[in-house]
Amino acid sequence: MKKLLAWAILLLGITYFILPLVGMTEFSLSMRRGVYSLDAYRAVLADPRFHQTFGYSVIMALLTIVFGVLLVVPTAFWVQLKMPHLRPVVEFVTLLPLVIPAIVIVFGYIRLYNTSSWLPLTGTTFGTNLLLMLGYATLSLPYMYRAVDTGLRTIDVATLTEAAQSLGAGWTTILARVILPNVLVAVLSGAFVTFAIVMGEFTMAALLNRPAFGPYLQLMGANKAYEPFALAVIAFVITWACMGLIQLVTRFSKHTKAAR
Amino acid sequence: MTFLTIEHLEKSFGPNRVVKDFNLSVEKGEFVSLLGPSGCGKTTVLRMVAGFEAPSAGRIAIDGADVVRLRPNQRNIGMVFQAYALFPNLTVAQNVGFGLKVKGTPRAEIAARVAEMLALIGLPDLGGRYPFQLSGGQQQRVALARALAPKPQVLLLDEPLSALDAKVRVSLRNEIRAIQRELGITTIFVTHDQEEALSMSDRVVVMHQGVADQVGTPFEIYNQPATRFVANFVGTLNILEAEVIDPSLGHVRLPGGQARLGRPLPTGRVTLAARPEMVKLGAEGRDTALQGRITEVDFLGSVIRIRADLGGAVLAFDTFNTSHARPPRVGETVQLGLNAADLLVLQD
Amino acid sequence: MTAPPQAPPRARRRLPLTWLGVLPFALFVGLFLFAPTMKIVIGAFQTPEGGLTLDNIRGLFTTSILSSYWISIKISATSAALGCLVGFLMAAAVVLGGLPGWIRSPLLTFSGVASNFAGVPLAFAFLATLGPLGLITVWLRSEFGINLRALGFNILSFWGLTITYLFFQIPLMILIITPALDGLKREWREAASVLGATGAQYWRMVALPILFPALLGTFALLFANAFGAVATAIALTGSSLNIVPIMLFAQIRGDVLGNPNLGYAMAFGMILVTGVANVIYIWLRIRSERWLK
Repeated sequence: MKKLLAWAILLLGITYFILPLVGMTEFSLSMRRGVYSLDAYRAVLADPRFHQTFGYSVIMALLTIVFGVLLVVPTAFWVQLKMPHLRPVVEFVTLLPLVIPAIVIVFGYIRLYNTSSWLPLTGTTFGTNLLLMLGYATLSLPYMYRAVDTGLRTIDVATLTEAAQSLGAGWTTILARVILPNVLVAVLSGAFVTFAIVMGEFTMAALLNRPAFGPYLQLMGANKAYEPFALAVIAFVITWACMGLIQLVTRFSKHTKAAR
Repeated sequence: MTFLTIEHLEKSFGPNRVVKDFNLSVEKGEFVSLLGPSGCGKTTVLRMVAGFEAPSAGRIAIDGADVVRLRPNQRNIGMVFQAYALFPNLTVAQNVGFGLKVKGTPRAEIAARVAEMLALIGLPDLGGRYPFQLSGGQQQRVALARALAPKPQVLLLDEPLSALDAKVRVSLRNEIRAIQRELGITTIFVTHDQEEALSMSDRVVVMHQGVADQVGTPFEIYNQPATRFVANFVGTLNILEAEVIDPSLGHVRLPGGQARLGRPLPTGRVTLAARPEMVKLGAEGRDTALQGRITEVDFLGSVIRIRADLGGAVLAFDTFNTSHARPPRVGETVQLGLNAADLLVLQD
Repeated sequence: MTAPPQAPPRARRRLPLTWLGVLPFALFVGLFLFAPTMKIVIGAFQTPEGGLTLDNIRGLFTTSILSSYWISIKISATSAALGCLVGFLMAAAVVLGGLPGWIRSPLLTFSGVASNFAGVPLAFAFLATLGPLGLITVWLRSEFGINLRALGFNILSFWGLTITYLFFQIPLMILIITPALDGLKREWREAASVLGATGAQYWRMVALPILFPALLGTFALLFANAFGAVATAIALTGSSLNIVPIMLFAQIRGDVLGNPNLGYAMAFGMILVTGVANVIYIWLRIRSERWLK
């Protein structure tokens, strides 16, 4: 009885999740009348703007990841090691981007860093790209920080640091050669989430007028019939790949730990 | 008249028979322990009495009524769990009053009963605390009070002392027994600790691989173990393989010497066992002398634990430390005395 | 420690050096999280010339802006509530419903994917399913003669948006509540039942109070999540549905309200709503977690 109910709930839920994916896929294959074809995908892949925006977003995602890791790992490490009393504060701050809507943050950017301000980031293309990357880093901060902080908690940071110090290592060496390898799985998880977020992000890129993948998707949606669905399938596959990779690295690390 | 009857109880998980033809009759007000190693089925028996597991076959009756088909909340049973299992969101008083509250008992009545129970467990002032503010021993006493508050017919204790540290364990052991006597409540106590089972119980059931090997008073279990498993599990034992010389007189040859048991034995070989405390250094005043070579002397303070090689068997025993007698040295050959009547004959 | 050698041995001198370690982080969140937010908050109370005023806030109280807030709050609250409910039921079905164990891991992985599959592509997926030519719309019409449109359903509406938002709300709930459900000890249920409690009594008196903080926190998070969702809404409805993020988006792009500082006020209103939701959450959480300290 209970089991039946559980199955019913689960199946209903799964149906809800499967149908849109089926619908999207079916549309993406229906460009040619009457038969399924990959025409929509061909059209998308032939579009130079697809390559430009996709490439732009990939590069932005990678830069965001590098920046995020360089910012979050030392901070989380330092807080855990030297300022544990600050931890609740830092944790709270890193969760704020989940509460303050992205559109509000980017609105603030536009007004704060415009051409007539003290830091005219939006005045140049490079500056705007930088600002967008920093915005992405803000959006992914909750995920990155949580992942790294959880990873750091599973190792004995203090002992590792003291051991490295007693062997003569400086802070950079400790971070790069002792701490980072030990939280690599956590960092990778954070990185993949960041990648997924940046690839799909729309608001910030659109309002900063950068040629990213998200605004391109929206533009296509407004102007084309079948291509948007092919793009949606591609976006879904990217998200799925990122999450799958997280699973993979986590599982892999568990195996290596068990073998030790 | 027996109060709790378990007849031909069976439980299988898939192909695993965890409990096999288990029978037990418990008198009203009796304290019975189920003793055995982990995986022997003792907890499964308890969980079937509580109603958390359905028996594959057999009957469980409380006060004459078959309860097998009743759900746990219809059985009027009190239970204390190993991990306390207090509700963390409720205060001590709310925890103790929980059973009465779900029955719809009037508020004033609940308050009175809660106060009574808290006084019984010696924590009258802690009613407003939350479980996380209590020590392990206090939590387990509250759990006991919670189980007893609705006046259950039977109290089930599932290794209630295992999670506690040694000192608390001993004091709580005495407290539980005292409360049980005071209330005269029929109790089944599951444990893997022989000392707990022997010290607390009216009767002990030693379980092994899903079967009750022996049911008896602590004295019987310890002194007349029915099977080799019981003898081995309860207390420490020296096993001596013996060759029967004269079956009718019970005359045997064992490592280091001979013994006359004075009771009939089967022909061939038998397994004998000697409790360490029955063996002493030197044969004066004992009817059996065995010769052995000392291999190990451990000075433990009040007691000296000695191991001797009898040539084919090792005999371990304790002697009290006295300041005037020197302990034997390793390598010395000595006489070890014991009474043939203290030798247990083990059946498999 | 890398203390300069000439530093006098006083404890006070060491403190700033320790603080240096979090300086990059402080700088980053200061410049790119707090400063822009503060800019909005302050701007909401300023005239274009920089003087202090309440006119912008007053400007929010026009019928169209108020109704956009109202419909935004309704969509966010409804999708958060339904997301919590359905997510909870699905997680409970898997954790407590006695379903085979292998279901759990794929469900959690899928939830990770779906909770991140928001924005423009999600809107496309639902257009393909419930839009005018969508899979289900067409199927219902051709097989059963049911015309969703005639029944009042429109993907570009309150319910259309809510159903779409559920696609990331439900999985987020599943991800957060599954560990919480795992935290419910089997002994609690057994202790309750042996004390005479029915299943419903156990849930009402023990399990739900224990889960309450987690449920509440997730609700607040889901609310903020939906309230700030811009991309899905724009891609799905264009500008046909009058909700706050869409209006603000249009305002930032082209000052459709004709008053730049009214934009600040709208954004400030958004911060206020999500802020208030979270303050309520924190307050309720502190109240409900007395038993955890």
